[in-house]
Amino acid sequence: MSISTLPPKVETPFRRFVAGFCESKVAIGGLVVCTLIVLAALFAPWIAPQNPYDLAQLDIMDGRMEPGTVGGGGFTYLLGTDDQGRDMFSGILYGLRISLSVGVGSAVLAGLFGATLGLMAAYVGGRTDSVIMRLVDLQLSFPAILAALMILAVLGKGVMNVVIALVIVEWAYYARTVRGSALVESKREYIEAARGLSLPTRRILFNHLLPNCLPPLIVVGTIQVARAIALEATLSFLGLGVPITEPSLGLLIANGYEYMLSGKYWISFYPGIALLLTIVSINLVGDQVRDVLNPRLQK
Amino acid sequence: MARIHLAAALAACGLVSLLPGKAAAQAPTLTMAVGAPITSLDPHYHQLSPNNAVADMIFDSLVNRDARDRDIPGLAVSWRAVDPTTWEFKLREGVTFHNGNAFTAEDVAFTLHRVPRVPNSPSSFALYTRPITGVEIVDPHTIRLRTAAPYPLMPTDISNLRIIDKETAENATTEEFNSGRAAQGTGPWRVVEHRNGDRIEFARNENYWGGAPAFARVTYRMVTNDAARTAALLAGDVDFIDQVPTADLTRLRREQRLVLSETVGQRIIFLGLDHSRSGATPFITDNDGKPISPNPLKDVRVRRALTIAIDRHAIAERVMEGAATPSGQFLPAGSFGYVPGLEAPRANPDEARRLLAEAGFPNGFRITLNSPNDRYINDARIAQAIGQMWTRIGLRTQVEAQTWSTFVGRAARTELSAWLIGWGSSGSEASNPLRNLVATISRERGWGASNRGHYSNPAMDALVERAMVELDDPKREALLREATQMAMDDVGIIPLHIQTNIWAMRRGLQHQARADELTRAQDIRPAATGSDTRPAR
Repeated sequence: MSISTLPPKVETPFRRFVAGFCESKVAIGGLVVCTLIVLAALFAPWIAPQNPYDLAQLDIMDGRMEPGTVGGGGFTYLLGTDDQGRDMFSGILYGLRISLSVGVGSAVLAGLFGATLGLMAAYVGGRTDSVIMRLVDLQLSFPAILAALMILAVLGKGVMNVVIALVIVEWAYYARTVRGSALVESKREYIEAARGLSLPTRRILFNHLLPNCLPPLIVVGTIQVARAIALEATLSFLGLGVPITEPSLGLLIANGYEYMLSGKYWISFYPGIALLLTIVSINLVGDQVRDVLNPRLQK
Repeated sequence: MARIHLAAALAACGLVSLLPGKAAAQAPTLTMAVGAPITSLDPHYHQLSPNNAVADMIFDSLVNRDARDRDIPGLAVSWRAVDPTTWEFKLREGVTFHNGNAFTAEDVAFTLHRVPRVPNSPSSFALYTRPITGVEIVDPHTIRLRTAAPYPLMPTDISNLRIIDKETAENATTEEFNSGRAAQGTGPWRVVEHRNGDRIEFARNENYWGGAPAFARVTYRMVTNDAARTAALLAGDVDFIDQVPTADLTRLRREQRLVLSETVGQRIIFLGLDHSRSGATPFITDNDGKPISPNPLKDVRVRRALTIAIDRHAIAERVMEGAATPSGQFLPAGSFGYVPGLEAPRANPDEARRLLAEAGFPNGFRITLNSPNDRYINDARIAQAIGQMWTRIGLRTQVEAQTWSTFVGRAARTELSAWLIGWGSSGSEASNPLRNLVATISRERGWGASNRGHYSNPAMDALVERAMVELDDPKREALLREATQMAMDDVGIIPLHIQTNIWAMRRGLQHQARADELTRAQDIRPAATGSDTRPAR
């Protein structure tokens, strides 16, 4: 193979990835929805007619109003209000901020933590490997929700504590994934070569080994973001996550749950839809990323 | 073989349906679902409304309570104070326990002896026997109880003590009551089966001295999930539920197949305030997050601002869906010691801001209101609504809701600055909330047991003290009124509203709603004139 046979336009791995991703229309749709949701969350303070976390802006007399009612504040409650007179539309936008930041934040932290441990386990091997992997087994043997509930019962409520709980629950997935691919990679010649050059361990781990373990890590990462969002919603629904005056999507759903029988569907319904859209769109994107990055599925 | 069994079963069914007797034919079984599980069938184990309700079905007290929580004759037909320190009870004759043993004064003496000696009681009934210094059995149907000081509350207090059979229950443990073996009372129902936390099966006591109840059997199920309980009633799985969730009220009121029964209860929902600290209190800071010393809650102007900032009618209407009465004192109108004219404070945010400015807080401060989220009807929702109202007068309010077990521990250790809590008065007497909620804490006297804010007002204590030994009812009521007025003027606590107790049942039943929240099968009977009662078959 000679250099002249390469196509005129250089095919980088990134371009190949983008081309592969665009093959699925569903995935593009997912990405569009996902982007819209992220933008809505980012610009929530400018889009929302009300700050749902400022108690002074809520009025109990506007509680449980139907979608489309004009309230005491002079603006229309597009998606109705909850039992405290909180505008559901504003509540959902602000709730998305919490859900996304908790989801992405915990996924990134768990990724950093898990990947480091996984790399160490694979590269150092021996007793370190055993200890780390037994910890992973222990962690994975607990149902995630149960473990998170226990951790929050000890730590108490609060957004930061939810993130901590999610990181503790999720790091094991990353560690296991990274260890698997790092084991394969560390048998390769380039690692042998790097070792032969007696490069410092840290440099081998992070400059050579890690970049080659990234594809599966990215796949696990996207799936775990969606999982973390769902977990946060579950915890808040159970009343263990965020404070009640600053509801996330899960707590908004929990607030309306009791009113379902009386026909006040909108309090639970719209936050539920928002949660569903968020998780599905992230998963769609994640699935396509996995398909594109999986060498076995490549034509 | 199988065919023979089937034939036998069919024959049995036929026999049952052919059995004569009007009562057995109409509505033979009643299935009830209650929201709170009981912790024991032992009537002297745990002071808890659900336990007391079940105990009332199996047992009787010397003095029973009517639906408005007034004393009525139970196993005692009459009582009087023969001298200032001696109460005499005349006992009902011809009453038998479920096992056939006759009821006599010996059983009363045994009950009084056992009550303070129940091991591991989470909330003992002993406070009701403590004032009794001597028991004298005059004859099998007369008993005299002596006290060290005049004790006007004797009949009311004694109504908390359900009478058990000495022969059966001598040395019986709480577990033997739970299994049903020792649970032999004189009440309208006897226990057939008890499955802990799930259900109790009752059969009617045909020989009940107050007349046999309307149903032959009762299934008393415990369904703690609100939605599940309502759904079970709507689906026809159960005939009767208690603790109807306010969120479902609008819908259930429209439902043709159902009837609701309701009455003003005796449970006051109120805010407690930290009076214990002179220096900074943990959950109040200035607007920069620094502690404020001295404790602003020690200033009556601040306390008054907090109470008049609250729009109680908005809470009763919007949060409680009308199932609450705004209140400015401990008890509902008509109770003993109710102060006529002491209304719920009117919401007045402007006056509240003025009072705050006068007290030196023109820019307000930050405060955290703590609340349980699984104990009282809509507890966390009420706390949030108050958060809104306080924020409007310039106090940046955080609301922290937690489960009851966490919350009550923190409240008991006085870790909080302001909190939402409730109190169900028993006995419909102002001395009960006065002694428990606002009297200066005193271990010897057993006062201030639930005075979580350590409120202390010696002038008020003196009034309550005088009332406790005053045998003349009008004089005692005047003293209690004065003490209540004093505690409220000083904003010792911030009363919010009195809960309405609501039950729901299928059409064709009628229920006598009780102020004390107790859900008992003997209060339910087939509707008298309902044209739509099911035809008897």
